[in-house]
Amino acid sequence: MKKYIKLSILALSLAGLSSCDMDAPNQSSLDPSVVGYTEKMAESAIMGIHQSFGETNSYRGRFIPYYGMNTDVEMINIPTLAQTPDGGKNDLCAYNATPNNTLMNTSNNAYAKFYEGIERANMVIDAIKQYGTPASRPEMAQLLGEGMTLRAVLYLDLIKGWGDVPARFEPISSNTMYQERTDRDSIYVRLLSDLKEAEDMMPWPNDNDKTKNVERVSKSFVKGLRARIALYAAGYSYRADGTIRRSNAPALSVDNMYKIARDECEDVINSGKNKLGDFKTNFTNLCMDKTDAGNESLWEVPFSDGRGRVLYTWGVKHNAKDQYTKQAQGGVNGPLPYLFYDYDNKDTRRDITCVPYDWSNEAKAKQQLRKVNKWCFGKLRYEWMGRIVTSTNDDGVNFQYMRLADVYLMAAEAINQLSGASDAWGYMEPVLSRVLPAEKVATLKNKYTANKDAFFNGIVEQRGLEFAGEQLRKADLIRWNLIDDKLAEAKTKMQALRTRTGAYADLPGSVYTKTATDGETLIIYGLNHGETDDAGANLVSLNGYEKTSWLEPDSKTGVLKIDDDLINGLYINTPSTHAIWPIWQTFVDNSNGKLNNTWLGF
Amino acid sequence: MSGNLKQFRIVLVCFLSLFVGSLSAQTIKGTVKDNSGEPIIGATVMEQGVQGNGGVTDIDGNFTLNLKGNTKKIKVSYVGMKPQVVNVAGKNSLKVTLDDEATSLNDVVVIGYGSVKKKDLTGSVATVSSAALQAVPVANAAEALTGKMAGVQIMTTEGSPDAEMRIRVRGGGSITQSNEPLFIVDGFPVESISDIPANDIEDITVLKDASSTAIYGSRGANGVILVTTKSGKSGKVKVSYNAYYSFKKIAKKLDVLNARDYTTWQYELAQLKSGESISNYEKFFGSYQDLDLYDNVATNDWQDITFGRTGHTFNHNVNINGGTDALKYAFSYAHMNDKAIMLGSNYKRDNFSLKLNTKPTKNTTFDLQARYSMTNVRGGGANDATSTYDSDKRLKYSVIYTPFPINNLNSDSGSGDDDLGNLYNPVQSVYDNDRLQNRKNLNLAGDFGWEIFDNFTAKTEFGYDLTSNYDKRFWGTTTYYVKNVPASENQNMPATQLQQTDRHSFRNTNTISYDFKKLLNSKDHSLNLMLGQEYIINKERVNTNIIHGFPVNYMAEDAWRLSTQGTPYMIRDYYYPDDKLLSFFGRANYNFKDKYLLSATFRADASSKFSKENRWGYFPSAAAAWRISSEPFMKGTSKWLDDLKLRFSYGTAGNNNIPSGQLTQVYENNTTSWINGISNYWAPSTYMSNPDLKWETTITRNLGLDFTLWGGKLTGSVEAYLNTTKDLLIAFPVSGTGYDYQYRNMGKTENKGLEASFTWHAVNAKNWGIDLNGNIGFNKTKIKSLGMMNDFGAESYWASSEIGNDYWIAVGGSVGQMYGYKSAGRYEVDDFTGYDATKKKWVLKSGIADATNVVGQIRPGSMKLVDQLTVDTDGDGKPDAGDGKIDTSDKTIIGNANPDFTGGFGINAHAYGFDLSANFNFSVGNDIYNANKIEFSTTGKYQYRNMLSTMAAGNRWTNLDPATGLITNDPTKLKELNATTTEFSPYTDRMVFSDWSVEDGSFLRLNTLTLGYTLPQLVTNKMGINSLRFYVTAYNVFCITSYSGYDPEVSTMRRTNLTPGVDYSGYPKSRQFVIGLNLNF
Repeated sequence: MKKYIKLSILALSLAGLSSCDMDAPNQSSLDPSVVGYTEKMAESAIMGIHQSFGETNSYRGRFIPYYGMNTDVEMINIPTLAQTPDGGKNDLCAYNATPNNTLMNTSNNAYAKFYEGIERANMVIDAIKQYGTPASRPEMAQLLGEGMTLRAVLYLDLIKGWGDVPARFEPISSNTMYQERTDRDSIYVRLLSDLKEAEDMMPWPNDNDKTKNVERVSKSFVKGLRARIALYAAGYSYRADGTIRRSNAPALSVDNMYKIARDECEDVINSGKNKLGDFKTNFTNLCMDKTDAGNESLWEVPFSDGRGRVLYTWGVKHNAKDQYTKQAQGGVNGPLPYLFYDYDNKDTRRDITCVPYDWSNEAKAKQQLRKVNKWCFGKLRYEWMGRIVTSTNDDGVNFQYMRLADVYLMAAEAINQLSGASDAWGYMEPVLSRVLPAEKVATLKNKYTANKDAFFNGIVEQRGLEFAGEQLRKADLIRWNLIDDKLAEAKTKMQALRTRTGAYADLPGSVYTKTATDGETLIIYGLNHGETDDAGANLVSLNGYEKTSWLEPDSKTGVLKIDDDLINGLYINTPSTHAIWPIWQTFVDNSNGKLNNTWLGF
Repeated sequence: MSGNLKQFRIVLVCFLSLFVGSLSAQTIKGTVKDNSGEPIIGATVMEQGVQGNGGVTDIDGNFTLNLKGNTKKIKVSYVGMKPQVVNVAGKNSLKVTLDDEATSLNDVVVIGYGSVKKKDLTGSVATVSSAALQAVPVANAAEALTGKMAGVQIMTTEGSPDAEMRIRVRGGGSITQSNEPLFIVDGFPVESISDIPANDIEDITVLKDASSTAIYGSRGANGVILVTTKSGKSGKVKVSYNAYYSFKKIAKKLDVLNARDYTTWQYELAQLKSGESISNYEKFFGSYQDLDLYDNVATNDWQDITFGRTGHTFNHNVNINGGTDALKYAFSYAHMNDKAIMLGSNYKRDNFSLKLNTKPTKNTTFDLQARYSMTNVRGGGANDATSTYDSDKRLKYSVIYTPFPINNLNSDSGSGDDDLGNLYNPVQSVYDNDRLQNRKNLNLAGDFGWEIFDNFTAKTEFGYDLTSNYDKRFWGTTTYYVKNVPASENQNMPATQLQQTDRHSFRNTNTISYDFKKLLNSKDHSLNLMLGQEYIINKERVNTNIIHGFPVNYMAEDAWRLSTQGTPYMIRDYYYPDDKLLSFFGRANYNFKDKYLLSATFRADASSKFSKENRWGYFPSAAAAWRISSEPFMKGTSKWLDDLKLRFSYGTAGNNNIPSGQLTQVYENNTTSWINGISNYWAPSTYMSNPDLKWETTITRNLGLDFTLWGGKLTGSVEAYLNTTKDLLIAFPVSGTGYDYQYRNMGKTENKGLEASFTWHAVNAKNWGIDLNGNIGFNKTKIKSLGMMNDFGAESYWASSEIGNDYWIAVGGSVGQMYGYKSAGRYEVDDFTGYDATKKKWVLKSGIADATNVVGQIRPGSMKLVDQLTVDTDGDGKPDAGDGKIDTSDKTIIGNANPDFTGGFGINAHAYGFDLSANFNFSVGNDIYNANKIEFSTTGKYQYRNMLSTMAAGNRWTNLDPATGLITNDPTKLKELNATTTEFSPYTDRMVFSDWSVEDGSFLRLNTLTLGYTLPQLVTNKMGINSLRFYVTAYNVFCITSYSGYDPEVSTMRRTNLTPGVDYSGYPKSRQFVIGLNLNF
């Protein structure tokens, strides 16, 4: 008997232990219900989307440096046919991207990080809708709207980069994990309705604390973005059926879309919440990290001062750590050689956009002449910054995603389409009159308002001059179906420039330079139309200028400054059909057979 | 407390009095000795036929026994010796001499939750005894196993004192997850065994097949290593003191270019790079005409400066042990202080342990145990395999740094992403990447056993383990980290990370066992049954503080002492989800006539890492053994064949080796310095949750043959196995969906192999003897399936992202396949049609593949790669031609890190007090990815770096015409200049991985060589000492290998499991000499 008592005690104690709770909840983490309910947490989750923008091979190191090249105003410095295909950056820029591109085909590429941002947006949108009662809490509604807007930014760039892409608007689950490409039209429709919903939840710039800064989304940006999406949605693109065409969807008709663009842009302009300031000030503010809302800038990717490769790739080149920067970078991408000469001599945008010099390889650096095939973009400059960059890899300048001039020109474009040039001029004029003398503006008015087509051509021309180096050109040319023409024209123009014929016949063969008394500024003669080598020779003999052969061929070897290698390297496949990057092989491999690039020929 | 003690004493007294008893008819007094004449302490003396009448011998080997029965026979037995039955009729005193058990068949082998005699083993088990561990002193218990056991591959990944030991039992089945075996110390699962002093270890057992590991169920799939620490033995107090002192030097250095040659090469490189490089060169080195100035420049041997010091170690330990039958105790203290060969690198460890085994009553046992260890590891610049920042792998600078100081070489000299050409003073590099780890471990355990009724024993065990690791890191001004991670106002200022990890584990195990001998009541049958239940819970918390922006002149010590001088960047206390495991298990052993042995094991585990539906895993196994030698038909062989046993086992074991908390997607908070105005954000983890996770299962089949010949002179075993692992837990790449990875169950791997081991007591004479032992293990590992995938690449990232995938995991292959280009030597002048002066480039003949995309601008002498057949020209669906250019499609499998076979052999000899042992280990057929060779012999995008002397002038291709001091493009001239050179030109645009840098890593190493002398007992007895031995040992005496790097035993890129065998910027191994003594009294 005793035995059995002992045994049963034992059995009982075993049974007691076996009923242990085997669940192990997460501890240092939060449930979506908390994040979606608490304003601070939800805001912090929105910041999680920005984090995806900043990842190494996301916007920060891949999309910003390589998307948008080459166009009739922008090129990688310097495209060469000899080095294409290179499997790398030349291929990306010269319309020859293959799924195995060495720069892009990594699992942490922008493509993946954009979807990471989308998943984060989907999660926070879902959480706020479920737990945040946005209908009765405007602060939660604003965060909801911000999440939807950032998601739209990501999708728009995905479509620009890769065409039809998988659409995910709910947090991922094992059922939705693998998806095929979704027709871009349906994504556009969704984005337009999302942003319509978001608009009403967002305050105008400076209407509350969160919109005092262009690093946060305001109503102005949501509307501007919706206008941009509408124009892209109505535009041409290379489709999965192998044709280049506009959307067949009636909802995305030109008429519908241009009306949206017009209405949204007019709302922004009429609200008076943002002001077109001085052209240059917009960029010096950007360089100085001035992000107060209400000015020209509508929204910027909020890189902290130690993150991002904006100036690093798009700025004026510094060859050494010097008085302006402890990071010797810049000049990775630059304007086409003729862009400078396409501006009117008096156009103040010219010298800000195109810079013929870089900074010498000295601790106390000075400007030194580059070469005509190797200009720098000048909208971003270390020397304009309010701080000294110390990071070896990142400059921390924000990426300006949209500015008011774009809204004006979108409005002008839409109105020209809907009701003609004279109605539209009112929206183009403010953009021009701040950079050109009145008489030049009047001349352009006459030229552009002649008819609808003339005005459209004016839009094409002015968007190029206004936004060169801001990554808008490629998408613009694609939606207008002008990319093939304009890039072919770019080759012709380079031919003309190097032989100083046509529009470039009135240029001297050399430039004449002298360092100013401040010891760093380069005074240059010979870049303006109408300047001559004779006058330059005088400057050499009388004023101590130095002569540098610029457009003329090398006096000894006869080698052209803009060689065939550059001209032919601008694009090596038909741009219109090769503008869309393939989805990189690693993602195709990871897609469980759902993704392919067959329509792109891979 | 004192009350308890008092009770305890009373119990003890009662217990002892059991043996006193009253005098009756016959009293026998006697002495038990071994055949060397030494008294045997603790031998059991029992009267035959009378249950429970007996005792043990005392410290002088004496016993007294009152006979109660009528058999007049007593049985004297002692572990490891042949028991003797002595007829004592009419005697009242006797001397018994026990012989050593000729064979080790009766050795007791520890298996999970119990032990079994070796002869009764049915599974695949290997053991290393304390004797083997003691003969050669080692710092780390795992080190002692190197080369000792068939099928157990042990690799020291680097030469640092705390280097990770990579232990693989039969290859390992997992792909992305760790293949570490399960470590059990005295029943307690622990993270590692490196903090246990070898002197405290009684034995180490490795369970290899599922029939033995299945008792550990869930976690046994990669083998189980059981460590048993020493317990007290009854008898007189024994004290042993062991001490050794060692000194060590770097085992091998790599030759670099001399000053003149370095400068000449820099000149050629500048000319090749042209443009600003030339003016930079002149700034640093002067003009070409002045090269001869460098003939006599004094150079720094940076390897000597960083690793060249003589390291020394002092290690001593004292063990005290003794007790009575009722109370045995063992106490030990060990101290070790190791000043390693590298600057600022040292290692210190203190261990205490106390073990009490008591027998409060006749049928109960009560044991207590405490172990405490304290380890300090100071490692300046040691390779941190898991570091996110590749440029922190900085030991390379001791090879590539400029051989003499260059005044003007400042940060302007940089190229691309890295300033200074990614070249830093090796000494500063070391101090700028400093680290100090304080590890403390406390383990407390108690168990209570109770024989409730005859042959029925219940045992309950409780254990608690606390691990605390305080890890301090320091990043100085030359590190990539401080240049890029901190906010801009704190950039280029020192930073530190202080990380405290606390891990608590609690374990409770309850077992009951019953021996059916009474019920069966048969001589032929025996049956044992054990049932048990176990619960383990692990809690872990990591407190991380990162501080940026210290004053620029701060060194590690300053930053650690004055942490408020910096700006806090991150303060995070992270609590991991608990890791719980609940298990039920049982084992039955059946034995018929000692001839047929059967055992069956079953374990069920529930892990909190899986959802309710998938929580339980069931792991059955069975094994059978047939002792052929006991069969009647084998009678004729009994003269020479002592034992022959055939074993077969089949079983399953599991694996849940993934981080906990993978079931639901939750928000985690992270610190960031990337976004303006915020310092942290909420986001889901980059690992997508998977609620459907379940156990990974390994099925093993094992066939073994054990033999013992010629009276135990030769013992050995041969085994074959086939392991298949299914439902692999893989960190599956899902990038593109919104997450980077997701843990999934998918795929299947297979390991099959053959193992053999033997021990031969070649000579066993009175005063001298020679033993030989050896083992060998062949393992072939193969990926049978990867679920929906066919293959995927993995990056080792040693050259950041320059190289891309350099490992390829594919169905039909194995983890460890290296992936890169095939080298075709170099471009010769004849490969080109000539030099095009206008385009400034060399033009290739048609049919010669262009490697520009991979190597950079090519010219004669450039590295040449094989253009793989990728184009199908005749339309038969098979590629038959190259595409004329080298790109990623030309990468192929060029190496395999897995050895064909590994093993070891040793010789132990003793003669007249001297003992000699030599232990060799070897590995054959594995390839090493010599990344050092790439970085030390090609330029990549960098300038100003030194190179290995394999690239010295005369060896390397040269483009420099000595007559003009300029690069020549004259084909005849180039041919003439390079008529005798053999290597390609080191100038490349980036690091290129080709089979040129894959080397055979086969080696044979004399791991240890020991000569000892034990003083004669006559002498020591007079001194009141039991034994005294002096010895000298040499470690890493020689290593025969064709490998050109520091050491063929290496694996430095350990961020993932997928990139084994990379030799990059590791801590070089040393050669060590030890003098020591073992003293027992």
